[in-house]
Amino acid sequence: MTVISLNQVQKKYSRIPVLTNVTFSIKENVITGVAGRNGAGKTTLLKIIAGFMKATEGDVQVFDENPFGSLLVSANSIYIDDAMSYPNPMKLQELLHEFKRFYANWNEELAMRLMEYFAIPFDIRYQFLSKGKRSTFNAIVGIAARCSLTIFDEPTTGMDTAARNDFYRALLKDYIVNPRTILLSSHYIDEIQDIIEDLLVIHRKQVRYHGTVSDLQEAHLSLRGTKEHLTEGTLGKTIVSKTRRGLQEEWILENDFSDAERTKLSRLGIANTTLSLNDAYLALTEQPRGGIDDVFDTQKD
Amino acid sequence: MSLHDVDGDKPIYIQIADWLENAIIDGTLNADEKVYSQYQLAELFTINPATAGKGLTILLEEELVYKKRGLGMFVSPDAQKRLRTKRKEQTLRKLVQDLLLEADLLGINKNELDKMIEKEREYREGEPT
Repeated sequence: MTVISLNQVQKKYSRIPVLTNVTFSIKENVITGVAGRNGAGKTTLLKIIAGFMKATEGDVQVFDENPFGSLLVSANSIYIDDAMSYPNPMKLQELLHEFKRFYANWNEELAMRLMEYFAIPFDIRYQFLSKGKRSTFNAIVGIAARCSLTIFDEPTTGMDTAARNDFYRALLKDYIVNPRTILLSSHYIDEIQDIIEDLLVIHRKQVRYHGTVSDLQEAHLSLRGTKEHLTEGTLGKTIVSKTRRGLQEEWILENDFSDAERTKLSRLGIANTTLSLNDAYLALTEQPRGGIDDVFDTQKD
Repeated sequence: MSLHDVDGDKPIYIQIADWLENAIIDGTLNADEKVYSQYQLAELFTINPATAGKGLTILLEEELVYKKRGLGMFVSPDAQKRLRTKRKEQTLRKLVQDLLLEADLLGINKNELDKMIEKEREYREGEPT
């Protein structure tokens, strides 16, 4: 079953476009990572899906309804980011108790256990928490709400490494027992790559990639060798990026190499490996590793 | 448990398949023994259950495991033997190819290489286990 479907969606802030021609759909109970460079349009996209904003043009369907102004969508979804606002006078404990009135599947006991584990005091107000603890509290709310559609927009901002790992593991464990559709944005592909099934890459206001993590990884190949050998071994292939590596070079290519062609590469002394997901993502969003060098390369004509 | 320490750049589902194959080769998983479910693997390695399922599918397609309706997957009786052959023909052969490539690069002849292998073997055998 399709939970989210966008067709030719555009969004403009006054007259400036932030999303153009966005078309994709997401199936029920899939965890999708949402990635993109700063200002690519991730947050805008997630807020449109959550029904917080209206698309300027195009069709948005969540649970077969336009999410903007939909009671169905707001009752069955939760959107977590680092700008959550809660009623000021309420202590965390009171908040956790009241959430059951908003979220049908709210699990207060799980929330309490997570609060204890992450050592967040109950009898304090949200505004007095540190940055990392605020994020952790929001993440707990997002997990314990058990909404059919759960959206986390950079949930780990400010969390330390241990808290991040624990959060992702807690989310995954709860997901295994209570599957739901999850959107998870992060700037750190490395930390979400294991728990997501699909990746949605937003680049320059558009969808640059939507598919499984492994397909993206296998779509590219990293080759290392001397320039001469690389030129010889990659005749007629599509080169995505070239980076200097000491005396050698590293080239990233689209992976349409046959076994025979890979054997030829090895014979030329060219090391060929699959890219890490992060490098594949960087290749897609045109951030060739070492590209910042060009800024300092004043010799360049 | 983390997979990435071993071989970080391989897609995760392939790492899962490799891990299961190793468990069959070294006898951790015996013939007709129940294999971890995709959810157990997901929990064990903190990975998405769909990814774990994809790893299991590789073994299923190669008939290294078989399905029992409602009970899960089990190790095929000849899985260990077939995996050993496959590893010999693929992984070991590749290592030998790489070895020869490096030897050629360094200008090491057959005699010298044979001696090196023999020396390493003696060293290994001499090691207390």
